[in-house]
Amino acid sequence: MRGVHEFSIAEALVAQVQRHAPPSGRVREVEICVGALRGLEPDALRMSWEAVTHGTSIDGAILHVDLRPWTITCSSCGRTWTSPVPFVACACGDPAPRPTAGDELDLVSLTVETEED
Amino acid sequence: MAEAARTTRIPLVERVLEANDEVAAANRAQLERRGIFSVDLIGAPGSGKTALLEATLRALRGRRQPAVLVGDLATRRDGDRLARWCDQVVQISTGQGCHLEANQVRDALAEIDLDAVDLLFIENVGNLICPVGFDLGQSAKVGLFSTAEGEDKAAKHPYLVEAADLILLNKVDLLPYLAFDRSFFEADVRLLNPRVPILGVSATTGEGLEAWLAWLERAARSGLPASTD
Repeated sequence: MRGVHEFSIAEALVAQVQRHAPPSGRVREVEICVGALRGLEPDALRMSWEAVTHGTSIDGAILHVDLRPWTITCSSCGRTWTSPVPFVACACGDPAPRPTAGDELDLVSLTVETEED
Repeated sequence: MAEAARTTRIPLVERVLEANDEVAAANRAQLERRGIFSVDLIGAPGSGKTALLEATLRALRGRRQPAVLVGDLATRRDGDRLARWCDQVVQISTGQGCHLEANQVRDALAEIDLDAVDLLFIENVGNLICPVGFDLGQSAKVGLFSTAEGEDKAAKHPYLVEAADLILLNKVDLLPYLAFDRSFFEADVRLLNPRVPILGVSATTGEGLEAWLAWLERAARSGLPASTD
């Protein structure tokens, strides 16, 4: 399991969430944003997240992954669009438009439940 | 009166690997202060990372004072191979970890006499995916592919290709025996990273080694591209 690409990311994320979680609250949701360049699979991330959080103070927290797609730019016709995969042909016939993507991997928000009187 | 639960969304924008990145920045500052150019060598298992370093260290004898950190899941075999050509080799056993992290490099650097070093090679764990996202504090990332892996390996590993400062294609001596179209490989690399140099080498025959050594010398002199990483 540790060999899975997403596992070490999930481990780093758990430590980070625990650092930010207020001591009195319970973390319900965690939102991250991932650039397509990272090559992370949201399902594998969520599976790793469940395994790593199990039995910890944030067990049960739901991980939301906002996966940012590739941007494809065609130099032949000037069209720009987004795609989940980098190597695609353009409708104009150009077989190899240029793929670009970000490598962001950011913790965006925590949703925390606290008890009040 | 019963207690009510209140739900609050706390916005944050923080890199997930910030803890690693901070250690990497300290590694980079330490190496830059000493004028040590460092290469993070990333390639698949069997692509020839250790063989390339053996040939490189052999060629650099008397010209440079290199040190090598070598990451591996298990065994000290790579470290032992490299120690034949270099006095300062530290083997980092990552256990089950599929990549090196900045704190492992920091600890390994503490075992090296950095005053006697002007060039550092970091042989990452054989893996084309995980190592790319973990900054170690290196000056340059070198992506090593080999002809035996197939011509589509670059396209299947866009993060490494995009992040690399140099792409090496090893085992070019095998090209006559393989269905590997070098122009397909290079076209995929160019789409993802239009400016990256691509050099063909053979760690076995020594073909292309001088161009790789010349790139190293040039990059080390110009300090490329540590400050922009």
